[in-house]
Amino acid sequence: MIKFNRLTFLIFVLTVFYFALVGRLFYLQVIRGEHYREISDRNYIKIFYSNPPRGKIYDRNGVLLAYDVPTYSLIAFPYIVKKNYSMQELKENLKNYLNIELDEKTLNIIEKNSYPSVVIKKDLTQKDIENFYNYNHLFHGFYLEVVPKRVYTEEANYLAHIIGYVGYPSEKELKENPNLSPNILVGKAGVEKIYDSLLRGESGQKAVLVDAFGRQKKVLWEKDPRKGNDIYLTIDIRIQKIAFEAFSSSKHPSGAVVLVDPNTYEILASLSYPTYNLQKFYEGFSQEEWKELTENKYKPLMNKVFLGKYPPGSIYKPLVSIAALEEGAITPETRIGSGSEFRIGKWVYRNWNKRGCGFINVSEALETSCDTFFYQVGLKLGVENIVKYSKLFGLGEILNPDLEVKVATIPSKEWKKKVLKQNWFHGDTVNLSIGQGYVTITPFDATKIVVPIANGGYVLKPHILKAYFDNKSQRLVHTNPEVIRKINIKKWNLDAVRYGMYLVVYGPSGTAKALKTAPVLNAGKTGTAQVYSYDTRKKRHHAWDFRDHAWFIDYAPYNRPQIAGVVFIEHGESGGKVAAPLMAYILKRIFKEKIIETE
Amino acid sequence: MFNLFKKIKQTDPIVYLLTAFLLIWSVINIYSASYHEYSTLYIKQIVFVSIAFFIITFLPFLIEYRKFGYISFYLYLVSVILLILVKFFGVSILGAKRWINLGFFQLQPSEVAKFSMIIFSAYFISNTKLPLSLKDFLKIMGLSAIPFMLIYSQPDLGSAILVVLPVLVIVFLAKFNIKYIIGFVLAGIILSPFIWTHLKDYQKNRIIAFLNPESDPKGTAYHIIQSKIAIGSGMLTGKGYLQGSQSKYYFLPEQHTDFIYATIGEEWGFVVSFLILTVYYILSLRIFYIGIKTNELFGKFLCYGIASIIGFQAFINIAMNVGMAPVVGVPLPFLSYGGTALIMFSLMMMMVLNIEYINKKEGFRFHSQDALNY
Repeated sequence: MIKFNRLTFLIFVLTVFYFALVGRLFYLQVIRGEHYREISDRNYIKIFYSNPPRGKIYDRNGVLLAYDVPTYSLIAFPYIVKKNYSMQELKENLKNYLNIELDEKTLNIIEKNSYPSVVIKKDLTQKDIENFYNYNHLFHGFYLEVVPKRVYTEEANYLAHIIGYVGYPSEKELKENPNLSPNILVGKAGVEKIYDSLLRGESGQKAVLVDAFGRQKKVLWEKDPRKGNDIYLTIDIRIQKIAFEAFSSSKHPSGAVVLVDPNTYEILASLSYPTYNLQKFYEGFSQEEWKELTENKYKPLMNKVFLGKYPPGSIYKPLVSIAALEEGAITPETRIGSGSEFRIGKWVYRNWNKRGCGFINVSEALETSCDTFFYQVGLKLGVENIVKYSKLFGLGEILNPDLEVKVATIPSKEWKKKVLKQNWFHGDTVNLSIGQGYVTITPFDATKIVVPIANGGYVLKPHILKAYFDNKSQRLVHTNPEVIRKINIKKWNLDAVRYGMYLVVYGPSGTAKALKTAPVLNAGKTGTAQVYSYDTRKKRHHAWDFRDHAWFIDYAPYNRPQIAGVVFIEHGESGGKVAAPLMAYILKRIFKEKIIETE
Repeated sequence: MFNLFKKIKQTDPIVYLLTAFLLIWSVINIYSASYHEYSTLYIKQIVFVSIAFFIITFLPFLIEYRKFGYISFYLYLVSVILLILVKFFGVSILGAKRWINLGFFQLQPSEVAKFSMIIFSAYFISNTKLPLSLKDFLKIMGLSAIPFMLIYSQPDLGSAILVVLPVLVIVFLAKFNIKYIIGFVLAGIILSPFIWTHLKDYQKNRIIAFLNPESDPKGTAYHIIQSKIAIGSGMLTGKGYLQGSQSKYYFLPEQHTDFIYATIGEEWGFVVSFLILTVYYILSLRIFYIGIKTNELFGKFLCYGIASIIGFQAFINIAMNVGMAPVVGVPLPFLSYGGTALIMFSLMMMMVLNIEYINKKEGFRFHSQDALNY
């Protein structure tokens, strides 16, 4: 017995609704089912991608380094292919008419219809395209897609590590970014990766109604492709080339050069040596070539500028000097007796030069790179202050996360306790004050020492992107120099250090006389960083990988610096005899060829 | 040892099993709907379904539904605050700000509002003098207008309607004077041209497209046509799991949310789409029935509200999928992708199960003479 009340009314409404829907379902799926099945079999929507050219990469003067050329790929839509051909037929047609051997994986995708589209062959030749055109009637569900290919110019090879490379997006990248299409090029390393969002552009998409033979019937919606923006690096490829030639003519197998504009911290050259052929790297090496590259003991694939960490040795001394002067441990006039060795208890710390240095001030100590002077100054200054100034200069800090991966290790009391579980000894401070012991820096970090000295104390954000051409606004967008902080260094203190670095080149006992021949006045500092003790080296007959590292930092011209940089030669043995001449060669050519003009 | 079967029998086995059936189906279908998009949505769905199972299996014995009544005003406040927060901190997806990003999970406040509005109105009305007076009616309508407007401005017309729908059902069943109801309906009809001018363009387009699908096959009507083709082409037994060409080839842009039913229709045919439709119908009827049996007013109205949201939301969504209602963005309970909705619906089922559990445990409970009349 059902009472008719509001509740039954509501349930009645629900029931009417229910039967209406059942009727509708029955109508759509059973009565008209055949009709709708036909429509769905006949028509598919396919997404066609059009891949825009990726932005070009230029150097600061507009020299072309990387651009795109179109290639053709043969694409198949598994669903349509499966409807038209048996797997056997498909294999035979592809083999007989297009000379393509279908691999198991692709065949599997078509058979299981597990992806909306699949690449059959990349980089088709003219002959392939002609064949496809002629036998088109045998390939329903196939079409050609324009796929851009990256081309790196001859010049770009000098810059292989910085440029990086491109590739197709991985499944993970596709999943994370819905704007990517499977055949667009994305940056995988280097500048190509860092500025991928500028360079990449956006694929066009076109949803097309196609029939069962894959013929396009109607465009349903369309999204235009967006071309990538061209970018201009701060690199001057002429300087980069000079740096490369300095190395290749020197017979030193491994090292790095970084040259920057100290006023803006634009990177003018960044060489990691040895380098590799960029185009070949992108297109794929043969197995032997690859083996040679990966097993080469000079590590050509590694970008030593940002990834290699080495003890700095004496190029650390200008920084220690500034710390000592600013913290009042010494004044520019303070003279300290510096003999051939320095003792703490039973421990003996020797000067690199057995003769000792005499009664000298800080500028003279820099000139001769006097270890015993810095031992005493370092102890007076204390490890805390050395660490404090290293940090102020930006060592151990990532100034630009786009560029820097590894940062310097600056040991402190806390660091030693935490990492090595040991106490800090005076001997550690002594070692640190000449850039030895636990301290390691990358070649790029070395520029962080010289840049503030050259520009009067400004710690800037290093950058490699000079500008990009914004396609939307049709304007060139420049990267402006960015001051991170200013280190307050009193003028007379800075001058004392600068003068010391001047004496390194021009002084009577300077350690880098090779630079005297440079066409402009300049200042520098040598560094010979010990990797193994002398005894070990001797035991190993001075084998390459046991030798000392050679460093040289420099800025020029002395009065109004326009370029600053570092030459690092892995196991080069002597900063003064090996690294300095390379810097001399580079500066000579830069100024003689008027790449940088002095005012 | 927790004897699942014995425990279920202490609640309502029909509600429990139908809910469990829908939960399991949701995983199967989300997997299919996101199959070609390199997607791992189904993994998230598995996580939510596991939580949902936990809620409906264990919580009915642990949390008494009346507790929700005591905190119902705070639930209401929290959902209004969430709806205001979404205005400022919301994540925009496809032009609508409907989600708050919590890092591990995107919360959809409109679903929370739907849930708390049912509890709040049931509690409010069960504690007023019945039949419902005009004054109390205006009070509860005024209070539900706040979440309605906030959701409507997201914009999300579908959810906004669904927030007030159960309130209206409870008001109706609370024997609100029929003369007033007729009066409000007439006023609504007179005001509708005015409302039309205030609709957003895309909402107007959807209604026009619904009334005449062929007028604009590329735009808004596109969904309706493609969804009809998808369901129809499923025929009696479907194209087979993962074989739906309509849904797999970009015909249905919202195939894992609003158009999940079309995926089911295409791949499983009339047999399963009919089955699912029937499951919603029986589930809704069963909850109405539990409501009738319950002799405590709050529990009673709660059941009516929940039964109506399950039934009507499911039917509106399915009607949308088969081209019988305009596309207003209403997800299918339990089956559409969306963690917040899934959890909220599971909590509703938990309360229904708890009401029946208490009914069985306490036998006939006499709370008021009124309870027998509603």
